Amino acid sequence: MSAIGRARSVALAGVDAVEVQVEAHVGPGLPGLQVIGAASGPDIAQRARVALQRLGVRLPSSKVLVSLSPADVPKSGARFDLAVAVAVLAALDIVPAQQASGVLLLGELALDAGLRPVSGVVPSAVFARREGLRLGVPEGGGAEAALAGCAGAFVLRDLAEAVAVLCGEDAPRAPEPIVGEPHAEPAADLADVVGQAQARRAVEIAAAGGHHLLLLGPPGCGKSMLARRLPGLLPPLDDDEALELAAVRSVAGLPVAGPGGVLDRRRPLRAPHHRSSAAALLGGGSGIARPGEISLATGGVLFLDELLEWPRSVLDSLREPLEEGVVRIARSRGSVRFPARVQLVAAANPCPCGGGGACICTDERIWAYRGRLSGPLADRLDLAPPVQPLRAQDLVGAAPEEPTAAVAERVARAREAAAARGHAPNAAAAVATLRPTFDRAALRALADAVERGELTGRGHARAQGVARTIADLEGAELVSAAHVLEALAHRAALGRGQGRAA
Amino acid sequence: MSWLQAITPDGADPAVVRRVLALAASGGAGADRQRRTALELLESHGGADPDVVLTALCRRPSRAAPAPAPGAASAGRLLAAHGAAVLAAGQPGYPGRLAELGLELGAPLWLFSQGRLPPGPAVAVVGSRDPSWDGREIAGELARFLARHGVIVISGLARGIDEAAHQGALDGGGRTVAVLGTGFGVDYPRGRAELRDAIAIDGALVTELLPGAGPRPVHFLHRNRIISALADAVVVVEGRARSGALATARLAAEQGRDVWAVPGSLHQPTAQAPLALLRDGARPLTRLDDVLESLPPTWPGPWGERPGSSACGSDEDHRATPGDRGRPGSRDSAPRTAPTVPDGPASVVAGVLSAVPASADALRAATGLELPTVLAALAELTARGHARTTPRGWVSVSAG
Repeated sequence: MSAIGRARSVALAGVDAVEVQVEAHVGPGLPGLQVIGAASGPDIAQRARVALQRLGVRLPSSKVLVSLSPADVPKSGARFDLAVAVAVLAALDIVPAQQASGVLLLGELALDAGLRPVSGVVPSAVFARREGLRLGVPEGGGAEAALAGCAGAFVLRDLAEAVAVLCGEDAPRAPEPIVGEPHAEPAADLADVVGQAQARRAVEIAAAGGHHLLLLGPPGCGKSMLARRLPGLLPPLDDDEALELAAVRSVAGLPVAGPGGVLDRRRPLRAPHHRSSAAALLGGGSGIARPGEISLATGGVLFLDELLEWPRSVLDSLREPLEEGVVRIARSRGSVRFPARVQLVAAANPCPCGGGGACICTDERIWAYRGRLSGPLADRLDLAPPVQPLRAQDLVGAAPEEPTAAVAERVARAREAAAARGHAPNAAAAVATLRPTFDRAALRALADAVERGELTGRGHARAQGVARTIADLEGAELVSAAHVLEALAHRAALGRGQGRAA
Repeated sequence: MSWLQAITPDGADPAVVRRVLALAASGGAGADRQRRTALELLESHGGADPDVVLTALCRRPSRAAPAPAPGAASAGRLLAAHGAAVLAAGQPGYPGRLAELGLELGAPLWLFSQGRLPPGPAVAVVGSRDPSWDGREIAGELARFLARHGVIVISGLARGIDEAAHQGALDGGGRTVAVLGTGFGVDYPRGRAELRDAIAIDGALVTELLPGAGPRPVHFLHRNRIISALADAVVVVEGRARSGALATARLAAEQGRDVWAVPGSLHQPTAQAPLALLRDGARPLTRLDDVLESLPPTWPGPWGERPGSSACGSDEDHRATPGDRGRPGSRDSAPRTAPTVPDGPASVVAGVLSAVPASADALRAATGLELPTVLAALAELTARGHARTTPRGWVSVSAG
């Protein structure tokens, strides 16, 4: 006798969910359970066999073959254990075939037939919601499924409960309430940054236009303090962005819920160390590709401190993701994709010796050093404000600085103005789109700068975007020469004609 | 019995007034305006009414000022209203350095004082009202340094260098004395009431002018001699070719005070005064410690002490010699002026740019302009060739 049992599961390629069909066939051949179509097939088979035995199911003395398809989607790990076991049970008529094939199942089997959580529940749940399917996940994953807005999600403790639910003996259990930190810790506020007028201004412009930023200052002057205040200036993530970030975190196995146990809408900031590998920064790893820091920062800020300490090759590989907002990781069986829409904030010492009071570097040496800074990311850095070392007298009787809330309000207005024109953020908008919003004097100021050799063709486009943002912050419809001039001044520290050679 | 007690709302002790005026008379007819007027009045009024003498003394003799309504605002009453003490020559409380100097060399007949003149070594820090960003920084830094080492910083509470020096001394936790070019009760320089109050807490505001006397160029000229007289040394930070700072330095040299000048760039208009002084033999300030090290080790004694205690005989050793050669007016060292400096904010920014790189933040503080305006002005100046970007900040470019 031969019967085919079916179950369904979800595989992940990056943060893209792909449905997986699991088919079990009982037929002639040497007795045993074999799983094909997944790199981890033998492991799955072993776990499934033991779990089924624990459940009291006796496998027939014939060959049980389980196949996962489509074959060309890379599948590895233990997430298909549950679906495999259920497909076998369906083939043995222990679970009604109808029931088994109407549900997406995810979960790793323990040897005692218990279920263990798996990563990537969020993208799977988004997929289930879109397809109108129910989703069974181990107990630890219910919260993620609920955050993703999947109404048909239910949780399972072990294989026995899965069987009971599928046979209609038990009612499916709704996901457990979400456990999140009860309160958000107070976010870093701009009011804490004393002085630093130019750097504050640059951070505000960067927030308003999505521009990449390079902070130049000696060690300990507050570069990372400024960088960490950028996310707070940005509007909260919208639904799609928040889900996208949640999906990345879910795949990486990181907590997904924000304060209060709801979908986290705070803009992320990731600050990888310069000794991180390219894989850690961009994603990858053996087997299933894991998202890198750049993807964990999607929708927010990627902060690269000590920019010059990063290997050139790693910085070079950042170019494409920065341009396209996506990281593609090539694998032998195709490439996976992770979101990488980040705003880059880099920091570096202002000169080769580290800067500070005792610096005796010559101007030429410093320019050469700065050329090296902007080299790999040539023309992707729009603003390069100096961050001044604080002096004691700046702290004495310093006037209170503007808080994040006040600046964020201006940023929001500027972003609305840009959105009303109907194009991408100014940093990414096409030259031709922005050009008509410049007055004659403004265009001449830009052209003059190119003529003087201060701007390259690309630098010209970047400066144009910054000028547009400055005008947006001011609420000006037309960009004037003053806006362009300020934009040029924000690039001054990068050096003349920076980025001419990458 | 001090002069302060002598002048009360009820009137003055004629005996004290007579003694002061007699002292003035004994000095011979010098060039000093105050003394000359006193002598004239002594002759015409016989020194009978101290109030009349005082009031008249505080006005320019040539100007026909309206006489105060009789009894309305007597000098004594006005001073009392401002909480001012009177330090009169020859009386206890009169600063030792001034007494020692003598009236011939510019010691005033009296000083009105708010706050207390602190005892201790003192250095005058003076310079342009319109300094470069860098000059302002140096003045502040020097004053902070001196204050931290217990040296009293003396200046004239004008805008620019003076203001930076007073502020620096306060920031350094020290004491500072401002010699005003106006009488008490005049808001000058405007909007600096807070600074004036802060100075008077541990230091003092002093003036020889009666309350209400407004700012006049001649007042400032005469004020300068008191600044140098109260100090052991005078540092000229910045000043243009014909500036008050230069005049102060020359007076200081005559009074036997050490004169220091902060070397600046040939291109810098505000470096003209210090450069001229250096040429004439002033000592170049190369480190902040320079002045400190030059102060006499056995310092003459507290302010309030009687003259004669004196180790201020350090004159010989430290005497600077500017003034002996060359006169300021004879020189035509007109600073270079760029031919087409743009107007508006750009010209303001150009005014404070110097050969020393400045950050946009520093230039914002120096000009009081909004940061975006400063940045746009810098880019404009750069575009027109008046400024240049260096890795450390912006510098001015000489048009040559």
